[in-house]
Amino acid sequence: MHRDEIPPGTLYLLILRTLARSGEMHGYEIASSIQQISEDVLRVEEGSLYPALQRMLIKGWVTAKWGTTAGNRRARYYQLTAAGRKQLAVEMSQFDRVIGAITRVIEAV
Amino acid sequence: MDWLRELARRLSMLMHRRQFDADLEEEVRLHLELRQEERLESGMTANEARAAARRRFGNATYLKEESRIAWGWEWFENLAQDVHHGARMLRKSPGFTAVAILTLALGIGANTAIFSVINGVLLSPLPYKNPKQLVVIKENDSLPNVMDIQRQTRAFSQGGGINVEKMDYIGATEPVQVRVGLIDEGFLETLGVQPMLGRIISSGEDVQGGPRLAMVSNHFWQNYLGSDPHAAGNTIQLGGNSYTVIGVMPASFALPAEHADVFVSLMVRDPGAGAERDLHFMHTYWRLKAGVTLAQAQADMAAIDRRLAEQYPAEEKERKSQLVPLHEWLVGDVRAALLVLFGAVGLVLLIACANFASLLMMRAVAERQELVIRAALGAGRGRLVRKTLTQSLLLSVFGGAAGLLFAKWGTSLLLALRPEELARLSGIHMDTRVLLFVLVISVLTGIVFGMAPAWIAARSDVAEALKKSGRSTTASTMGHNIRKILVTSELAVALVLLVGAGLLIKGFSRLRSMNPGFNSANVMTMYLQLPTTRYGEIPKQTQFRRELLTRLNSLPGVQVAMVTDIPLGGNYVGHRFVIDGRSPVAVGGEPKVQTLSVMGDYFHVMQIPLRVGRDFTPLDREEQPLVAVVNEEMVREFLPHENPIGVRIRWAGDTGPPQWMTVIGVVADVKHSGLNQPTDPAVYTPFSQSDEAWRRFMTLAIRARDAAPGLVEEVKKQIWSLDSQIPVSDVHAMDELIAVSLAQQRFNMLLLGLFAVLALILAAVGIYGAMAYAVNQRTHEIGIRTALGAQRRDVLRLVMRDGAKIVLFGIASGIAGALALTRLMASLLFEVKPTDPATFAGVAILLALVALAACYIPARRAMRVDPMVALRYE
Repeated sequence: MHRDEIPPGTLYLLILRTLARSGEMHGYEIASSIQQISEDVLRVEEGSLYPALQRMLIKGWVTAKWGTTAGNRRARYYQLTAAGRKQLAVEMSQFDRVIGAITRVIEAV
Repeated sequence: MDWLRELARRLSMLMHRRQFDADLEEEVRLHLELRQEERLESGMTANEARAAARRRFGNATYLKEESRIAWGWEWFENLAQDVHHGARMLRKSPGFTAVAILTLALGIGANTAIFSVINGVLLSPLPYKNPKQLVVIKENDSLPNVMDIQRQTRAFSQGGGINVEKMDYIGATEPVQVRVGLIDEGFLETLGVQPMLGRIISSGEDVQGGPRLAMVSNHFWQNYLGSDPHAAGNTIQLGGNSYTVIGVMPASFALPAEHADVFVSLMVRDPGAGAERDLHFMHTYWRLKAGVTLAQAQADMAAIDRRLAEQYPAEEKERKSQLVPLHEWLVGDVRAALLVLFGAVGLVLLIACANFASLLMMRAVAERQELVIRAALGAGRGRLVRKTLTQSLLLSVFGGAAGLLFAKWGTSLLLALRPEELARLSGIHMDTRVLLFVLVISVLTGIVFGMAPAWIAARSDVAEALKKSGRSTTASTMGHNIRKILVTSELAVALVLLVGAGLLIKGFSRLRSMNPGFNSANVMTMYLQLPTTRYGEIPKQTQFRRELLTRLNSLPGVQVAMVTDIPLGGNYVGHRFVIDGRSPVAVGGEPKVQTLSVMGDYFHVMQIPLRVGRDFTPLDREEQPLVAVVNEEMVREFLPHENPIGVRIRWAGDTGPPQWMTVIGVVADVKHSGLNQPTDPAVYTPFSQSDEAWRRFMTLAIRARDAAPGLVEEVKKQIWSLDSQIPVSDVHAMDELIAVSLAQQRFNMLLLGLFAVLALILAAVGIYGAMAYAVNQRTHEIGIRTALGAQRRDVLRLVMRDGAKIVLFGIASGIAGALALTRLMASLLFEVKPTDPATFAGVAILLALVALAACYIPARRAMRVDPMVALRYE
């Protein structure tokens, strides 16, 4: 089955949005969630997911704390901070603007 | 503020690196396991599932590294790793480490010590308000002139003069002489000093007949006024008069050049000074108005000089006032010496660095195998260079730290040795600028001299090196060539320093062997001044002098005479004079001579040889025909073509009937102002025939058969038995005065000599190291040669030939360098040419001998190589 790469620059947006929707998640859940919701179209590479999470930790958009999974295993859960929420809004409006622009270009007669 | 919080997060990550790694590890593991379970659920076998999960996950190590790099500490971790590795390597070879650090510490320490002196003397601003505005007029001036300049100047905002005179102070346990600065009202204000207690004199008080007021130094206040916070208002007895203390100076205040403990108004102390235009004895300081340049001030001063010369042709006809910035005036003499020393010590550092680099290269060749393996395993070239550089930086920073200790010790040594000229600027200490200097040269040394070995490391050809498994690769031959060049330059630089030191030593020994014109052995001197109140008239002075000499000469084993100013004591009075029968010279244009009054058998006591005519006798006294003895220089300059005996001279500017003095004798020249100074023409006259009542001072010259320990006390007792209130000061052995006059030259010679010895040792160590290493590398070859029948002599020749080539090249280029550089020190040399061939030759031979001896040690080891052992070597 064909899967599309995540468009460049939207990985943060996807992670932020996923976390905003469901409170806290660990890395595997974030990846699965994005894949599921996109109906298997978007696949997050682990190789970029974890470094991206680290960068978001540095920026202070998310915090991480250790918790236990349903299967009673230790996992690191990520949670959005206030700064993260603000960043999400910024990324959303940016995304909308770009998509809107692209749409207008495509649909122009 | 966001960046601050971000930095805090990054730092916290750095602190908890281990935790970070463990967390990431666990996170990744969980991810893999969960993925594996997902695959199992979709019906794969356990093995397939694990493989699929791993495949999907990609390179976990890469991911972890990417995550770490995100935090931006990669450089730090590499550095920490390099430092850690470097430190371990250094610990593993303590001998190498100690030699490298010691070498650098010597070089950096010597440089830092000299730099801290330069920093204190040349670079630090003077401790006065806006010191850049301060200038001095080189020539001394009289009070009326100073006042005229103050009125007429358009370039100076303030100005004032000082003359330091010793006055007796009654109030201490015994009568003491204190140095009193006779000043005008502008003086202290010009320097911008604020009194710590009380106030300074105001313009209304600095007038003829003004109140007797005194400002005292902090030192005087502590010693004689008991640090009394209410000292202002106290009365002190100074030179027979009562003065009211009105102010105390802060402890930080010191005069730029002079030393004084009390300041009083010249006009008040000496009401006549306001009219004595031709007595030029005040040293004057001036403050430039903001925005006025030195050239503008000099032009303005020239205009004032012209006006004064027109107005007072008799006194001021030849006026010429030269302005010099205060700082330049103060450090002028020592600047050249300090810069030469700094240059010399810089050369020592260069040699130390060459040794350091040479050691590092040896090291790099030894570690090449390890580097090659690292490179083969994929270490980047940059990383390898960084690793080598880190090691050399580590060494150089340790060397710098150790050098700082050397410098601290060296600076105190310098301070102990320092000549008078440096003593007056005592701001020599370690400050941030000195520390910065050490840091910069340490780091530069580490980088610049670590570069060559690092380069060798980077150039190592992995494949070739692995194939050859050790011996003599391109890298090591290249290393060897670079080391040869380094050692050659070391020898060259050492030669330059040795030549410099040799020239100074030669000049100094010339100076020491200079005949001062008198015999200083077993002569003590002391200075007395008669108070005006009781000895205002000449007959009273003469009576005291005569009586004192009678009493002192009756002491067993001593001969005593007196003179106004003792040779090498730093003072003399100059008078203009006229020769009888010569066509008259314009007033104010007469020639000047050193003028000395004597009493007792002065020439005999000082053993100044009489050349022609006769000595003074007790009959040459008051009421008798006036007589004079002149020195040979006086005859050479003014009476070359006639018999000087019988010539009549008189002082210029005398009023009343001419007072002709007849020359009765000629004595040998005396080096009055310093052994390296030319002799001035001089006229000696009897104290008893003087008509200058202000000459109330005298220096006793006491020749004792042997240096009796109680002599000084005995003489003082005799003086005080005549008058218990006469202060005695400046008690010195004549030998001591000679030593003081040589101090600056001695200082230069000792330091440059020390640096040259340091350079010689370092260069010898350098060539020894290079030769020893070369022999070590060639053990195999030497073994083969010996096995094939080479004699020990042949082996010796083989090694020594290499060494001799280096030594010859080094010395040849050193001589060329020295010829170019010693010109710079010409001003420090006394009667020695900077290209003195004997010094050059002697030094070259010395260096050659030392260097060849250093080569001989490894050569002898080469001779003893056992072919069997050598062939099995490695």
